[in-house]
Amino acid sequence: AATEWNASVWGKRRAFTEHVEKLAELVSEKTDGEFTINVSYGGLSKPKENLDGIEIGAFEMAQFCAGYHRDKNRAITVLELPFLGVNNLDEEVAVSHAVYDHPAVKDEMAQWNARIIMTSPMPQYNIVGTGEPRDQLADFDGMRVRATGGLGQAFEAVGGVPTSVPATEAYNAMESGVVDTVAFAQHAHLSFGTINDADWWTANLNPGTVNCPVVVNIDAYEALPAEHREVLNSSIDEAIDHYLANYGGLLEQWDSVLDEKGVQKVMIDDAVIEEFRTTAADPIREQWIADMSAQGLPGQDLYDLVQTTLKQQRGGN
Amino acid sequence: MESIEIGLWVTGGLLLLVVTGMRVAFAAALAGLVGLIWIFWAKFGYDPNRFGKALTVAVKTAGQVPHSKVASHTLSLIPTFILIGYLAYYAGLTRALFEAAKRWIAWVPGGLAVSTVFATAGFAAVSGASVATSAVFARIAIPEMLSAGYNKRFAAGVVAAGGTLASLIPPSAILVIYAIIVEQDVGKLLLAGFIPGAFSAVVYGMLIVGIAVVFKSVGPPVTGFTWKQRFAALPGAIPIVAVILIIICFVYNPFGDKAWGTPTEGGAIGAFIVFCFALFHGMRWAEFKSALLETAKLTAMIFSIIWGVLIYVRFLGFADLPGAFSDWITSLEMSPMLILICILLAYAVLGMFMDAIGMLLLTLPVVYPAVMALNGGEAVSAADSAFGMSGPMCAIWFGILVVKMAEFCLITPPIGLNCFVVAGVRPDLSVQDVFRGVTPFFIADGVTIALLVAFPGIVLYLPSLAG
Amino acid sequence: MAGQATVLEDGSRLSQLDQRLLGVERFLALISGLAVFGLMVLAVVSVGGRNAFNAPLPGYVDWIEQAMPLIAFLGISYVQRDGGHIRMDIVISRLQGRALWLFELISVILILVLMMALVWGSWSHFDRSFDLGAPLWSRDSSIDIGVPLWPGKLLVPIAFSVLCLRLSLQVWGYGRAFVLGLETPVSVPMNQDAAAQAAAEAEQFEGQD
Ligand code: NA
Ligand code: NA
Repeated sequence: AATEWNASVWGKRRAFTEHVEKLAELVSEKTDGEFTINVSYGGLSKPKENLDGIEIGAFEMAQFCAGYHRDKNRAITVLELPFLGVNNLDEEVAVSHAVYDHPAVKDEMAQWNARIIMTSPMPQYNIVGTGEPRDQLADFDGMRVRATGGLGQAFEAVGGVPTSVPATEAYNAMESGVVDTVAFAQHAHLSFGTINDADWWTANLNPGTVNCPVVVNIDAYEALPAEHREVLNSSIDEAIDHYLANYGGLLEQWDSVLDEKGVQKVMIDDAVIEEFRTTAADPIREQWIADMSAQGLPGQDLYDLVQTTLKQQRGGN
Repeated sequence: MESIEIGLWVTGGLLLLVVTGMRVAFAAALAGLVGLIWIFWAKFGYDPNRFGKALTVAVKTAGQVPHSKVASHTLSLIPTFILIGYLAYYAGLTRALFEAAKRWIAWVPGGLAVSTVFATAGFAAVSGASVATSAVFARIAIPEMLSAGYNKRFAAGVVAAGGTLASLIPPSAILVIYAIIVEQDVGKLLLAGFIPGAFSAVVYGMLIVGIAVVFKSVGPPVTGFTWKQRFAALPGAIPIVAVILIIICFVYNPFGDKAWGTPTEGGAIGAFIVFCFALFHGMRWAEFKSALLETAKLTAMIFSIIWGVLIYVRFLGFADLPGAFSDWITSLEMSPMLILICILLAYAVLGMFMDAIGMLLLTLPVVYPAVMALNGGEAVSAADSAFGMSGPMCAIWFGILVVKMAEFCLITPPIGLNCFVVAGVRPDLSVQDVFRGVTPFFIADGVTIALLVAFPGIVLYLPSLAG
Repeated sequence: MAGQATVLEDGSRLSQLDQRLLGVERFLALISGLAVFGLMVLAVVSVGGRNAFNAPLPGYVDWIEQAMPLIAFLGISYVQRDGGHIRMDIVISRLQGRALWLFELISVILILVLMMALVWGSWSHFDRSFDLGAPLWSRDSSIDIGVPLWPGKLLVPIAFSVLCLRLSLQVWGYGRAFVLGLETPVSVPMNQDAAAQAAAEAEQFEGQD
């Protein structure tokens, strides 16, 4: 029988949604149109309620970011800790998928009737702003920055004030002065237009990134005919590969984008970054582990898993 | 394809509910809920055993919408704008404005009527609602015009038409609602309303002078104010000027690089200033409490329509009706400009019967994507577009056109709310009298809309300055 | 007071209940109005803090989002009591007597069914964000300062439940008017024509300027 799924994402089609689009394309192709996935950009839910929609069963697939609602997905927020040490998208995929396989993560997601099928790997976030570049820690004092999750906490540790409007409103927020700076990955600076309003972009601040998994509704997943489930499972790696190739192309063109928009590439002193790291990374991580443990979650375990996976990934290459 | 059929049936049902007098907010929510149940059940192949499941999913999906949509930073502008209007009233700003305008302009033919229009335009800069503006000026301006020997119907028409300026000139609740539905920059939209609003006021003024010159008995000039009296009347208008300047500076700062803050903050600071004036003017707890209660009432009413219609819109998302309509519009073999004019005419007809906010909320989710597609898409550049403007600029331009249409509908029969309000305030005037008096202003509005369509620069000049 | 003129009162049980509920509704509406005022004060503090002391208010956006449910929902029943929710009365204003009461009765019954469904739906939305076992009972919190979202979400089913009570009284009131063929029933908003309604609206502005 024909299977029709709805996938709820937001914004418009961009590098960040390419794996979902590719997955939809692959399953339809491999099943001769018997299994289709309609990707809806904001028509079915607000981004912050995508997990709710999955729990309700309103749609079968959705994308969300851990930092939008840390209480809904405490376990995976480990991946948003600042200065985690992830260097590239391949490593990001490896650590994310290792964490997603952890029983504590699976349990927490099962409360939402959700099963994570893949991540949406993103490079390190960097900030854009207007006026004079903020390249000293003192410049972050009183800075209103759109930065969610652990990133927001990192800026808070050095006096910043996280002010997180939805991504779709980030451009307006920056232009109207709700925020002074916006932290995004490159694709989002492009897609949400913040780069158009910016005078400068920090090339090497690299404080961390945001983790945005793609989930499916467990009931819908289990109700799939065996061959459709097989097609879905077997297409995930291909979808991720397509995503990585596409994102790689975007990163290659990034410098020319900056030139074209007249955005200054700001290199921050190693000493400044080191100071930022010591102020933000350790205390926030220790606090996180303590909080998680107090709530009965294996915080230390999850953090160690990230580090061992990183080592393995580097050893294997 | 089936879901689009469901979409059309449910939309038909919604229109039926609205026409038979169900309150718009609840009619839209009910249609949306029934539509969601239908969509989910259809997905289950209409299996009787799974109807309960479809019902549960639909109810929970609809039940998310009110909180999810209302807890929004941008929407917080609406209650602030409403509060400003009520406080301004208690601060006595309306009469002060009219007095100043009268002393300066009444000497020209039709001058008292022109003063009325300019005073309503000034009051519009602190009031977000058209109907309230007409009600206030029906009390203040009509008696003065009558005692100066003005034609009764003409005076009533001036007040009814002048009230419509309040939704174009910021602050404007309806422009905020437009911005929310189409997810565009609120600040730029508010800014875009200034010139067309002022432009409409000037067109009204010229029309009035023209009529008064041709028909001498309609609006005789009033003379006799000394320069001293004229300048003495100006301080009363200061709060209005202050609020206008502050809102401009918070949306787009003409004196420097950066806006001072967000439109929300600008609105709030404006409300705070007006609040101080109202205190100074003698407002005490009793008046303050009624201002708060009236604000709460209007706010609850507007927000009910917002979440009610958004439940229906959520259903449309599942039925993919906006996509289908947009595909259909762009497949038509007509020039885009002709299609746009047809859409505006359809609004004129719809607006004869519907209230402005309900009309925009119901139609925009479907019409707006179609208009954007017509222009060449959200991301189109001015050079490649059908209307000669980029995607974001087209969104602003269309917004102002639609809001002007909605305002136009406030004075058209059979349901022209402003005319009812004026007739309601003045027992000596029937609704027919007011409709007859307001007729010349249809022509003025028609001219204004045509000019806004033909010269988008009138709308887009200020927003383009803001980058 | 525009509201008072449109709903008739007498000493009957129905009218007593109507007035008791009105007291609750007016109180909730006043909270809503005060919340709007609070929003204004919050913005003044935020702008002042930012510009005068380079100290922006942490969680400004979060707090506004928390205040919005207070503002948007608490007045909903107060508005319904006076028949203030917008509608098109081009058809209904032509009806009289039993035919009119029947139309109104069907309309409020449909709204009651809708609102009961939405009480269920919005309660489940609240319930998903609420967890007795979690810190601050929170299973969903705001982005920047982690304020629990459940109190705001809980306001929705509460306000909708009050509206359901109001609608039940109106079902009773219109049903009674229909069965007994009354001309001037108590505790329901009287169907005025648009002009009279406008007059009532303009009444608010009388003698205040
Ligand atoms: Na206005
Ligand atoms: Na009309």
